[in-house]
Parts: sequence; C-alpha cells; structure tokens
Amino acid sequence: MRHRDHHQPHHQLQQKTRQSLPADSPHHHLSQSDASLPPLPFRTVNDARRVSNPAAASLFRSTLTLNTPPGSPRSASPATGPGGSSSPARSMTLPLTGSIFGGGSIGGGPGGPGGPGGGSGLGKTQSLLDTGAADNPGDPLHLLLRSFVPHVAIHASEDVEGLVREKGFRRGGLWELLRPFGERLPGKVTVRDSNGAARAWGDFAVRFVRFGEGVELPDPVAGGDKANGPPGEKGAGKVDLIAQVETVVERHLSYAEEAYSGAEAEQLEGTPTRPGVDVDATSPYYALYLRRLLSGMPLACHESFAHPVACVMAISSRNPSPIEALQRLYKETCQGEGGLPAWVDGDYLRYYVLVHDEENGDIGKSMALFDQMKRNFGLHCHLLRLRSSQSAETDDDSIPLPPSDWMTASEELADIEGSDTQQDFEDPARYIFESDATAIRTFVREMVTQSVVPTMERNISVWNDQVASRRRGISGRFMSLSKRWAFGSSSRGASGGASSSSSNYDALGFYKADSPEAIMRRLADFAFMLRDWKLAMSTYELLRSDFQNDKAWKYHAAANEMAALALLIMPQNMSSKTRIETINGMIEQAFYSYHARCNSLYGAVRCTVLALELLRLRGGSGIDEAVRWGIRVLDSNLMGPVGDALLKERLAICYASKGGAGSQAWGSRRRKSALWSVLAADAWIVQAKYVQARRCLGEARRMYALLPGECGVQSFGVASDFLAHLNDQLKAGLGADMAGTEGDYMEDGQEQVTSFDDEQTETLDNRRRSRRASLIGPAGGGSASLETAPLHDVKPARLLSEDNGDTYPSQDGFG
Amino acid sequence: MSYYFAIVGTQDNPLFEYEFGTSKQGGDGQSRFTEQARHLNQFVLHSSLDIVEEVQWTSGQLYLKVIDKFFNNYISCFMTAGNVKLMLLHQPTAVAAGASTRNSTSVGVNPTSPQTEEAIKNFFTEVYENYVKAIMSPFYKVNMEIQSPVFRQRVAAAGRKYL
Repeated sequence: MRHRDHHQPHHQLQQKTRQSLPADSPHHHLSQSDASLPPLPFRTVNDARRVSNPAAASLFRSTLTLNTPPGSPRSASPATGPGGSSSPARSMTLPLTGSIFGGGSIGGGPGGPGGPGGGSGLGKTQSLLDTGAADNPGDPLHLLLRSFVPHVAIHASEDVEGLVREKGFRRGGLWELLRPFGERLPGKVTVRDSNGAARAWGDFAVRFVRFGEGVELPDPVAGGDKANGPPGEKGAGKVDLIAQVETVVERHLSYAEEAYSGAEAEQLEGTPTRPGVDVDATSPYYALYLRRLLSGMPLACHESFAHPVACVMAISSRNPSPIEALQRLYKETCQGEGGLPAWVDGDYLRYYVLVHDEENGDIGKSMALFDQMKRNFGLHCHLLRLRSSQSAETDDDSIPLPPSDWMTASEELADIEGSDTQQDFEDPARYIFESDATAIRTFVREMVTQSVVPTMERNISVWNDQVASRRRGISGRFMSLSKRWAFGSSSRGASGGASSSSSNYDALGFYKADSPEAIMRRLADFAFMLRDWKLAMSTYELLRSDFQNDKAWKYHAAANEMAALALLIMPQNMSSKTRIETINGMIEQAFYSYHARCNSLYGAVRCTVLALELLRLRGGSGIDEAVRWGIRVLDSNLMGPVGDALLKERLAICYASKGGAGSQAWGSRRRKSALWSVLAADAWIVQAKYVQARRCLGEARRMYALLPGECGVQSFGVASDFLAHLNDQLKAGLGADMAGTEGDYMEDGQEQVTSFDDEQTETLDNRRRSRRASLIGPAGGGSASLETAPLHDVKPARLLSEDNGDTYPSQDGFG
Repeated sequence: MSYYFAIVGTQDNPLFEYEFGTSKQGGDGQSRFTEQARHLNQFVLHSSLDIVEEVQWTSGQLYLKVIDKFFNNYISCFMTAGNVKLMLLHQPTAVAAGASTRNSTSVGVNPTSPQTEEAIKNFFTEVYENYVKAIMSPFYKVNMEIQSPVFRQRVAAAGRKYL
C-alpha cells in the first residue's frame, strides 16, 4: 500500500503488457495483504481459458503480488487513517535489521553446534520490537503481534443484523462489517504497563469474533464422562485446522501456477526470482500459512487469548423496545444456550452500541435513547451512525471494504470452493460509504482506547495485586509447597493428581474461571496482549510449575510456550547462553506436552514455528537453534507437504540471515542455506509447484555462487547430477505448463531456469570462472534473465552482506 | 551404521570419496544408504563445511569430533594442515538407533559416545597418515583428485579396522 502511489492507474496497467516500476518500490513482492488491495487487474491477460472466474482472482490477492495494485486514488484503505501504517521502506529498515545479522567476531563466535557461545548480534537489552521487523507486514513477528490481540465478541440483535444485511453484508452481519476495522486501528494506542509507564503502539489491533464461536472442548481427564460442553461446537476443529491451512495455501499455490502459465512470463519475473539472501522478505505463502494458522486460534480452555475481553452488544434505532432488547442480549451472554463454557470468565466488559439508521431513523429519538442508555448502562456506550442503503462501486463516496486478513482457513476455503462451483460467483469485495467508514473507525478507536484497554489495564493491576503477588511472596511459595507435599503420598498413584482435593484442576480437564490458576493465566495473557512482556513472563513462569504439579498438560504446554515467546521478545539481560538454554527448555517442554501428551498438533506447530521465527530474529547462535526446531517439526511430520516445503524454504532463509565475519564470511551458513533451498525445491517439484521450485533453485544457486570456492556442490558428482536432474524436471514442468500458451514463453522460461547464477559471476573474479562446470547452465542465457528481472534491485542482498564486511572472496584466500 | 567418507579440498571440491559400512558387531562392511540418500549425503557433507569453518577456530585440535547433525546424519571432521578436511558422515541404522542400552556405547550404534569418537579419531589419524604419503607424490598438485588405488585400499582397511 505504501508504494501504491508509484504505480500506474488502473486502466493504464491493463493496457500495458509490461510495467516498468520505479526502482524505489522495494516492497512489492512482499505479501501485501495487510494492505487492502482492490480487486487485482489480474485479467490483464487475454487468456481467459485457464482461470475460470474473474472474481476468483480477488480471493487470492493476499499472495498474488505479481501485478501490483493500481494506484487509483480511491483505493486508499478505508480502515487506515492518515496516520496509519506507512511503514518505512526497505531502505530504511535495512540498517536497523542489519544489526541483527552482524553475527559476531570470531573470538566471540558460537562455540560450536552444541554449545552456543556469544555472538548474538542483537543488543542484549534490546527488545525484538525495536528491531524494525515488527513493522514489516509479512514478517512473522508482525504476524505474531497481530494475532495475539484482544478478542472482542459481537452480539447483535436481529434488527441490527437486518440493517447491516441491507448494506450488503449477508453472511456475517455486523461482524463482517466491523472486522476489518479492528485489524487496523488508526493512530496510536497508549498502554500503561504494570509499573505505570506508558508506551504508545502504532500497530495495536483487536479481533472481532462472533459471540460464542470457535469453542474447543477440553479433553476430559481420565474418565470424565459428564462432559457438559457447550452445544453444537466443533470439537474436532483442532485436528482439521492444519489440514485446512494446508488446503488454503495449496489453492493459492495452484492458482499461482495457473496464473504463471496463463500470464505473460515477463510480468511474473519479479516474484519468483527474487534474490536469495533477501532475508527481510517473507514468502507470501509462508506468511499466509502463518496467518491462517494463527487466525484459527480456538476458544480453548488452556489459554485465554481467544476469550472475549469485551462483548459488543448492538441494537438499532429500529428496535421498538431498545432497553429491553439490550437487557435480553446481556442475559444471553451470561447464561443460556449461546453462553460461554465454564472456563471462560463471564465478567468481561459489555459495550453497548446503538446503531442509528441515518436514512430512515430520527436522530433526535436516537439521541434521546442514547442518553437513556448511558444512564442505564454507564459509560461504555456508543452511538454508531450508519447509512442503511447498499453502496455500489460506482458511487462517488464509496470505498472498498478490505477483506479481513485474519479470516480463518475454513472461511477462506469456503470462499475458494464457492468460486469453483458457482458459475456466477460474486466478487466478495464489498463497498461502503466513506461516512460509514469514518463512523466505524471512530467507534472502534474510541472503544479500544477508552474502554477495552483501560479495562484490561485495570484487570491486570487488580489480578496482579490480589492473586499473583500473593503467589510471588514467601508465603505463596510455601503455599504451593505445602499443596504439593501434604497430600503427595496419597495422590501420587491417583490418576493425574486430579483427584487430589487441593488441586483446582477439574476432572473435566479445565480450571474453573474463578480459580487462581485461571485468573493468573488471564493476567498473563492480558499482559502479553498489552505487550507488558516482563509481567507476562513472570506470571507464565509461576504457572508453569503449577500446571506441571497438577499434570494439566495442555495448560502446561501453553504456559511454557508463551513464557518462551515472551522471553524471546522482551529485552534480554541474561547472557546469551543461559538465555538460549532456558528458552530451549521451555520450548522443549511445550513441544513435548503439546505433541506427545496432548496430541495437539496445532499447538506443537504454532509453538515451534513462532519460536523459530523469534530465535531467528535474535540472530547469532539463535539461528542454529531456530533451524534445530525447524528440523524437529519436519521430523515429527506435523505438517502436510505444503507446510513442509514452506518450512524448508524458511530454514534456508534462516541460515541465509546469518552473516559471517571477515573476508571469507567465516561463520555464515551459505552452504546450509543452499542445501535447504535445494530440499525445498525438491519438495515443490514433487508437488508440481514449479514456480516455487524455480525460485528455490535460484536461491540455492545464488548462495552457492557466493561461496568462496564459487562452485558450490558441482564437484560432488552425485549431488550435481541431482541438481541437474531437478533442473530438468523443472524445465519439463514449466514447459508443460506453458505449452498451453505460446512457444515463446517456453523458451523464455527455460532461459530463466538455466541462467540464474550467471549474473552473480560478474561480481566475482573471472579467474575462477573457467573452473565452473557447465552443468548448471549454458553461459549464454545470462543477459536475458538480467533484463527480464527489472522488478528487483539485487541491491538489498549486496548491501546486507557489505554490512557484515567484505564477503566477496579475496584472491589470497586459503586456497 | 553406514559411513560416507570424503576428503574435501580447499575449493569445496572432493578429492576422494568412499562409502562403507560398519565391520563391528558382525557388520559386513557394506553401506546401507538408500539410493535417494546418495546425493543427500554429498549435500549434507558439503553444507557442514559451514560449521567446519566456524568450529576450526575454536579448537586447537585437528580432530574436531562430531561437528554437525542433520536429521539422522552425524558429521565428524578432521582438519589437515593444508586446509583440506577429512570428513566422515555416519548414519546409524534405524534399528541400531533404538537398540538396547547394553551396547549403546559401542562403536557403530551411538554416534556421539566417547568410544565412537575415539574410533573415528583412530580412523582419521590412519587415513591422514596415508593421505600425507599419497600427496607426497611428485605428480600430485594441490586440490587434485586422489586416484591412487593403494590409498583407497588403505582407507578401506582403516575403515574395517576401526569402524
């Protein structure tokens, strides 16, 4: 979005077959889905055979960044205010993140694979949030911050849903309308931590959810036959989640493959062949995978992130008996069929909203009613003025409502499947009036800054005083000790300690909402959501041992997971070695508890992948640890083929982000990075995702070309045969894809495939060139790839390596 | 346990490659790598050079022990004075990995046990001796592949003897 201004207007783009972008638009290959993209002009291509439905293109916009969005003035995101997320461009973030990859001097370098030494390039007292990675929309850290946010449930009366339905939101009602606005709060939100220090966050967000949705039932402890869970919710959802995410990403990938074969190869050049060492860039598919993984966070008992922090209760001015309707809504959230299960604290904030119909309603009456609401329900009220008619794209003051970035995998899957089956699939893009957007923005901002955040702060301080600090003191320790030993002998043989009278862990497998453990968990989660890492960390630390004593394994896993994440994000004071060992221990316990004890694949994947990303950002020996966790995930077969391939790609980037020292870049991991790229390419080819495979192979080549020896694995016979074999398969695959279009493309594609590494040679000395085997590619095709890759400046890669000193081989190397 | 041994020159070029299996515990000396693993062995060994380059500065020894692990593959390294590395990839067989604790310290089962380390050290030392003799040939130049059949026999003998 930030460089939308650079692009040409919509109609121009459609006429051009080849766009020339200015060099200062560095981010266009990143996932843009944080930005709101209007429907892509994807059908610039005249070939309509392969892609069944034009409207379907907009479904894939989060990963389709090939045709960058047109810069029409009206495409400004409605949810982002003027002070919104105009993050710095790549050129500005580079120096910041560059400090992470500094590696370390040889003396302080990691002391070997087993024993990480110093060498963390990151300042010890720096929080990860200060590194700039959080501003990058595709970056996993950014995704992490955006996913662990307060959840606000929406519970609207029938008349409100009716009003919103008239506006064109037929499926989700008010929730569908509000959701995108919660993801992008305009302006900064000031949050006070437990010490009273205020800090303003520019990227604060809330997640709107439908009331009572996505509940995951706890697994009863041995013999809990009286499961009285809430009605009609998917208990098996957790099992399917990874599979759903896989399917979604798979669909995106397939779409890209089809698009590749249909579209003109030149236009596509930019995306698949970006420079391999561009460690700031996240593959859009990986970002999508993570986002769908995180957006599916179930309303589970063992963590309270998905528990509602507040509930919006909305009525409209059409309601004949408004106050009674509100009271009824309130009752529904407290008890009854739609109510939340016993492990959710029922004491969340109620926020009352009166939706005023601008076109049919009488504002005087609404104001009077609103005053009455304020008298009855206190300050947490808002009057939201909306127009009730539907806005069309052609209206003057209409703006497109951005699709939600955080739709769950199942929703997106339903959309995609819908576009497959229905011939007249309707473009899901919605339009709303500018005035409505402004009203909603004001409403959401007011609610968050004046009600949600203060309530959370208050809850944190109350719980901290009343529950947590008691546990932190001497007597608290004693209490927990006596609890552990007083009945120890009697309950040791009993199943899971659940029968022990001193434990709050129910036989049903959860802590009641008013038990100290549950309150502390909420305290820690609130602190985490408000980014008070220290408080969160220390509370999780307390909970870890409690849950372990109670053998509440899922709770134990979640507490360990979050403790590790908080510890990784917060500014570090410990020495690097202790820190890594502590963190590893926590991740290990979390992983083991999730995977082996609870059989929760979702938890295991989420915990390791997030830890992997944060460790990577920590740099130094953290990178080796990160890869170790990645291998662990691959080894345990947690994900499907798509996830595995994406993870392999990611590990290559992990290793690539480790810089070396000195002219030979000792301590860098280029060979490792290349190895993982090759593995990823292999995995993609098996799945017939040739565009991805081509990119991976290109990255591998680039990495090998950067090596001092300059010839990579070529002198290893079998390995280079394998590379050549991959190359052949790739060519055949791409060729088959393109055979449907025109012969020109095929040749072009082949040249692309064969000649990635040649441009690198120019920066290296010519002396060694002769030694290069000709297996990888004929030397002729080099110039073609250079000129067809105008979308990329190769600069970032070089800049990066120059930050770490001269990485180019010197003539007098140890050879 | 299967072994893949390579001498890697200064330009990441293999000077000598040899694959063999354990001869201890009734092993027949044949490697048990699958056909798909062949190329992977080379990739893994090559990628471990990254770690070698890092670890070589932290130890005064020529023998660097197990420096890297890739799934079930362990890589040991022995530096020579001329920046040529003797590298050994060892892969415990799946059965052996889960073997009983009785022989878990013996060579060929537990790749990180002190006994294995010692055995590999002996192997490396003997190979190194032969390597030095081989490159003393007046016709040998730096980074040239070692094609001497005698050298190959001696490496095989060392493998049989120690591993």
